[in-house]
Amino acid sequence: MPPRIHLRPRALRVGTSSCPASAPIVATYASLATATTPAPPIQQTFRSTPPILRYPPTQPPSHRRPEERKTQLHRQYQSLLKSSPLILLFQHNNIKAVELMAMRRELAIALNQVDAERLKNGQEGQYADQIRLQIIQTGIFASALRVVEFFKPEDSVMDHAQHPTDPSTPTSAQIPQTSNRVDDERFAHGLSRRAWETASSRKFKTELDPLLAGPLAVVAFPAVTPQYLKAVLSILAPSKEFPAPKRKTTPDYYEPAVQVGLQKLMLLGARVEGKVFDSDGTKWVGGIEGGIDGLRAQLVHALQGIGGSLTSTLEGAGRSLWFTMESRRTDMEEKEGGGKKEE
Amino acid sequence: MITRFLTDVRVKFNPFSPLSKPARLFLSLIPSDARANGLTVATQMLPRASKEPPTLGLKFKDGKEMDLKLEHMRITDVMEEVNRHSRQLARQEDLSGN
Repeated sequence: MPPRIHLRPRALRVGTSSCPASAPIVATYASLATATTPAPPIQQTFRSTPPILRYPPTQPPSHRRPEERKTQLHRQYQSLLKSSPLILLFQHNNIKAVELMAMRRELAIALNQVDAERLKNGQEGQYADQIRLQIIQTGIFASALRVVEFFKPEDSVMDHAQHPTDPSTPTSAQIPQTSNRVDDERFAHGLSRRAWETASSRKFKTELDPLLAGPLAVVAFPAVTPQYLKAVLSILAPSKEFPAPKRKTTPDYYEPAVQVGLQKLMLLGARVEGKVFDSDGTKWVGGIEGGIDGLRAQLVHALQGIGGSLTSTLEGAGRSLWFTMESRRTDMEEKEGGGKKEE
Repeated sequence: MITRFLTDVRVKFNPFSPLSKPARLFLSLIPSDARANGLTVATQMLPRASKEPPTLGLKFKDGKEMDLKLEHMRITDVMEEVNRHSRQLARQEDLSGN
């Protein structure tokens, strides 16, 4: 049987012939090597070297596979929940794309009107382009909500890092002391394994849990502004307190596409700064006149009233004392005067 | 679910109760053009504190009325109940040849 590995004697010959056989063999001794490695800087001998970041700073290792849509939606919903203090939850029942588009158009028109009004009144914050009706994946949203509610990483991974302005700091780069392994306990981002473990615990129950079933859509607000909430409620969930716009002013709203779509949209509840409200509670929030500024004005007014009455009360005691004493003094003087006359 | 033979749907539920899930899923099973084809859907939301059980009232084209207590039913049970009568109506329609 011939050998499996083909020996190529010619190739071997070429290889050996390439190196000149006539070159003298130079003896090298390690002890005679002239290149010496420099001594490490004195800093390194008594202080440990700064840690090296072993993953891209914007992509820490994640428990869920980052290339999947589910993972990115999870991350997106976490950011939505963290960044919007007011979220309205709707159920949508087989709304067609045309109807959804028509409703979104009406919503944008109404919000732009609010924007213009706020601009005219000189109020800060125009949010019309940030508020929109967004259909969500219910299961992923529920999971993201659990992470946002219950995963509170308290210990910072930057504890070891010295402040950049400290002169003894070897480097000013703020590098978290984490390895590039997923099961590192020190990761604090929402897709880390620790976040997943916390959120998948059955011990925790959120108030919103019963609502998170079936097809859902959210309207998220970047700030709690009853003005915008009012506009959204009057478009998407018109009621007695928040009547729909008049047919004369906005005839588009009464197109069949919008009206049929609205029949299939139900307001379930709202999450306002971590607290959960039903539709009545949402209407109450929407009914706050003038928003947070209005509430502040009311509070200031109430406190001023208290202050005024308090000063008058406190003054009252002193004043009555003064009156008593004064009347007594005049009385005494009269008596004295009368006594002198008698004498 | 066969919704061709339904004329009237009345749903009452408290969305904050876990028992209301079949009621909400039933609403999501109604096709998008059913309302245009003569189905009236009336939804009543109870306030959050209410302990009232969720109910589903149905009317069929032959006049049969169905009241379902949803607190011990899953959505598959509800669909089964509705389909049972709807299939009878479908068979009658087939036999009469219209």
